[in-house]
Amino acid sequence: MNFLAASIESLGARFVGWFGVGYGLFAFAGRAALLLLDRSTWNRATYDVVIKQVYFTAVQILHVFLGYALVISWLLITIILSTAREFGLTEFATEMTIRVLVLELLPFLTALFIALRSGSAINTEVALMRVNNELDALAHCKVPPMQFEFLPRLIGGVISVVVLAALAGLLALLLAYLSIYGLTMAGFDAFTQTVAKIFDFRIVAGLVIKCALFGLAVTLIPVVSGLETPKKLFMVPVSVLRGMMRVFFAIVAIEVLSLALKYI
Amino acid sequence: MVAQDDGVARVALELPLRANLTAVDNIALIPLYQRHFDAAESTRQARAMLDALGYGDIAALRDPDMTPAQRFVTQLARALMLKRPRLIIDRPGAMLYDVPYPAFIAQLAARPEIDGTWEIYDFDWNLALYPQ
Repeated sequence: MNFLAASIESLGARFVGWFGVGYGLFAFAGRAALLLLDRSTWNRATYDVVIKQVYFTAVQILHVFLGYALVISWLLITIILSTAREFGLTEFATEMTIRVLVLELLPFLTALFIALRSGSAINTEVALMRVNNELDALAHCKVPPMQFEFLPRLIGGVISVVVLAALAGLLALLLAYLSIYGLTMAGFDAFTQTVAKIFDFRIVAGLVIKCALFGLAVTLIPVVSGLETPKKLFMVPVSVLRGMMRVFFAIVAIEVLSLALKYI
Repeated sequence: MVAQDDGVARVALELPLRANLTAVDNIALIPLYQRHFDAAESTRQARAMLDALGYGDIAALRDPDMTPAQRFVTQLARALMLKRPRLIIDRPGAMLYDVPYPAFIAQLAARPEIDGTWEIYDFDWNLALYPQ
């Protein structure tokens, strides 16, 4: 009986904990969204920090990211093509490549890339800012941390993931064409027809929304997780660990939801 | 209680600088966000404040690269930039452990470009350090 009560109690505590985390995330996202609509947010200072964030999150790593996207795309296109040829399904190779790479895998890997590079850094920085009282100092100086520190990171994350996923997708399309048809224009019509057939409005809108949600997840969750850190230095690694686990689950959940909406 | 008061600018150990910003950027945040000057003008004002305190050469330093005295001056410049009616230096001994601080603060306050009255909150047992 005691075991049952303890189990129910533990389950209830976990449920309350998850609910608290979810509520914190959505409440923060709501505050950020309200600030986005506020005209006073869009001053020169916020705009400058957004530009800086996009530079650090996307531009600074562009060459590394494109190299990584090139290798992954080339490998997967080669695997898809050779498998399609083996089973006599070459006519489906283009569509398969686009659906697997451009619509699913590359946006997912882009989100993981940004999460590992920028999300973990954001989580650590916000946690350290909280532990070191830097947020209190900003509040004392009436410099709003939301506009100065957090909102630019959210906007920068969303823009970066959308743009990097789009660039990786374009690179994959180019590679797919070259791998299937080589350096000729012979297959251009067939290829563009397949691309046009797949990328209808619903798919493009879904892709952009998915990438934007990925971008939000890899920045919003680390920020909120950093802000939840107790004011103890040894809790910073714990905060980053929790934050990155939540980011991973959120990215997977967004991907699963997107697949379910598209194919089920 | 004074921390909540909009009329008070505090220089205190528990109100540190933003660690990843330079001295000049920490100070420039005030004109940038409160008075909506552009980045160039805010930076100019911040530099002018550091020059007025005689520490123009620390403009490019970040918090971890500063000596305690340089850090204190940057925090003081930020507090002065707030232009609030009162300026309180809270337990300066905790921040200025590398210099004889009463003389150091008096020297900063005596600079010709600096005006206003600063209040120092310190422990009773440090009273002997201050000139009567």
